[in-house]
Amino acid sequence: MTSTFIRHELKAFWRARNTGKSIAVHIVVGLAILYLLACALLVGFQLNKILIKSAPHDNVIISFCGVILTYYMVELLLRMQFQELPTLRVQPYLQLPIKRNTLVKYLSLTAMLSAFNLWPLILFIPFIVKIIAAGMGWLVASAFILSLIGISIFNNYLALYIKRRAAFNGWIFIASSIALILLGMGDFEWHLYSIKHISYLYFGHLLLQPGWVLLPLVLGTVMYIINFNYLKHNLYLEVLTKHKTLRASTTEFPLLNRFGQIGDMVANEIKLIIRNKRSRSSLIMSLFFLFYGLIFYTNPKMGEPIKIFAGMFMTGVFIINYGQFMYGWQGGYFDGFMVSKIKFTDFLKAKYFLFTTVSTIAFLLTLPYIYFGWRTGAIQVVMYLWNIGVNTTLILFFANRNQKRIDLSKGATFNWEGVGVTQLLLSFPLILLPYAIYLPLKLTGFPNLALIVLGSIGLGFVLSRSYWIKVLAADFDKRKYKITEGFRNK
Amino acid sequence: MIAIKDLKKVYNNVLVVNVPELNIRRGESVGLVGNNGAGKTTLFRMMLDLILPETGEVYMNDEKVAGGEAWKEYTASYLDEGFLIDYLTPEEYFYFIGGLHKLTRAHVDDFLLGLSDFFNGEILKRGKYIRDLSKGNQTKVGVASCLLQNPELLMLDEPFANIDPTTQFRLKNMLKEANKNGVTTLVSSHDLNHVTDVCDRILLMEKGRIIKDIATNSSTLNELEDYFAIEHTGTVRLKIDEEENH
Repeated sequence: MTSTFIRHELKAFWRARNTGKSIAVHIVVGLAILYLLACALLVGFQLNKILIKSAPHDNVIISFCGVILTYYMVELLLRMQFQELPTLRVQPYLQLPIKRNTLVKYLSLTAMLSAFNLWPLILFIPFIVKIIAAGMGWLVASAFILSLIGISIFNNYLALYIKRRAAFNGWIFIASSIALILLGMGDFEWHLYSIKHISYLYFGHLLLQPGWVLLPLVLGTVMYIINFNYLKHNLYLEVLTKHKTLRASTTEFPLLNRFGQIGDMVANEIKLIIRNKRSRSSLIMSLFFLFYGLIFYTNPKMGEPIKIFAGMFMTGVFIINYGQFMYGWQGGYFDGFMVSKIKFTDFLKAKYFLFTTVSTIAFLLTLPYIYFGWRTGAIQVVMYLWNIGVNTTLILFFANRNQKRIDLSKGATFNWEGVGVTQLLLSFPLILLPYAIYLPLKLTGFPNLALIVLGSIGLGFVLSRSYWIKVLAADFDKRKYKITEGFRNK
Repeated sequence: MIAIKDLKKVYNNVLVVNVPELNIRRGESVGLVGNNGAGKTTLFRMMLDLILPETGEVYMNDEKVAGGEAWKEYTASYLDEGFLIDYLTPEEYFYFIGGLHKLTRAHVDDFLLGLSDFFNGEILKRGKYIRDLSKGNQTKVGVASCLLQNPELLMLDEPFANIDPTTQFRLKNMLKEANKNGVTTLVSSHDLNHVTDVCDRILLMEKGRIIKDIATNSSTLNELEDYFAIEHTGTVRLKIDEEENH
């Protein structure tokens, strides 16, 4: 049966509509993982030297014993973020005469096929072989390896268990992440206890009495069984496929009502952003970028060209991050939109409105950076004008060339949907254009003029918006059928 | 009201729609029938300027549909759930559509009150986004939003397909009522009973052509049943219409 499942999954992979694209994605992800594993191997072979350097007075084995549990804590946090749930679509098998245990066993065992389970082995086995096997004998060394495997299994299924439960109730995920972080803070911030000592306590005992190896093995088995039973009892159609629908919130934006149809469209798009995972995370990301200034403005060694970059990202990252997939966000109902009584120019005005609003909010929030000097403030203003003038127009120009829809229901992590040549092409003018204007003037000794020119061009684009809207609408009319057809292809 | 001339659409070298001429007068109620892949949805999409035909034109009120926007003022249509903004609640969606036609919220509320039987308590104030509704209930939202626009031309693709029998009867009455008030209706369906009941004129499509154009009378249903009952070896398509099979 298991081999049949594997064959079906392979077929599902090769016959998927977007196989070409997902192979490319897998290769990229695979290369990244290989690179990380190679790094881990390098660290693994140097681990004894690294440990001696970081704690020269302690016995290297003691340091090693203290590190292990800390590693697994961090790993658990990473697993919860990145490890994927095994994907076999059980739906078509449930009503067939296949034992539930077979299905659940398959789902559980394939869950072990994760790069996360390789890392601790690659990282720690070289040390165990080099130092522990040489000093304490092979019995102790194999006890160490077995207990590593045990904890890996425990972590593996604990992370999956939390993820599965979190699929029905998002709070579980947040609560367990916070619990983990608090656990870490309790050690490193508040010094209430020491994970290092607990780790040492266990692995120190393991050194003397290899029988302790049973503890992680039992823990791993127990976690496997808990996960197995949970999966078995929740193998129903609606539970696995559909998330429990939370009660819908009705949000109103009274301010936007004043702007008539365009305001309505902006309100809709804000709802789109807030109510869907992936768009929401692109908004949250932009919040993080507001702290860019603390990195780039505080460091006097950073030159002004870097500050231009920081300024552009702080007020414009939402335009770039969210805008690069336009109008794919609305791909799901683009047909309905095309036949409804909306002028495309109004649609574009709504986009400009949204970008300008978000950019302005970011601009206001980053005003305190003027503390780092008036020139920094000037850069902020110039790049803000550049963003709402040039970058918005550029993004919408490329939006007319994007035919890939985005499935709003999916999350953002490792989601490459909608990423294509357009996004790649888009990044060149976005990043290079301001430098193409700024650098020649700056290098020939007119840094002030450089900023003035950048700002004026931005302002010029803002003032000539109605012209650009006409140009973009005419451009869209030429591509309309291609775009709508692309969005209809799921 | 609608005039089609020389309309042709080709997908992968297969002619999926081929309508040399079709005229629909104001106030007519037209039913479109045909097996899967006959080209019904593709025809609808071309009439709504969503697909560019290889040749030919669609005119509404003597104006070209392609590239024009005037027809959007008086045309309401629902082809599939791709017409709905699925992360909105039904209320928000109705307010939005109403707003496009300059209807106040009170006006929209008033209109929705009249549809409470049709909604059967499953649409409004349920605290659900449209994406969480069943397909049948999504159809209800789509049809209701069409009627809300108070259109002169109403186009529905398979409106009876996913809804329960009670709602089917109510929908039929609503369509008849709308037609009585002067709305031109164009409805496609696989249900011959419903379509002959609602429509005065039936168009039968096969392989992209309109092979029959009949005024409904007492024998129409039998005539259609005879057509669909015999085996159409000729209608076995090499390629299934992309639009219906996405």
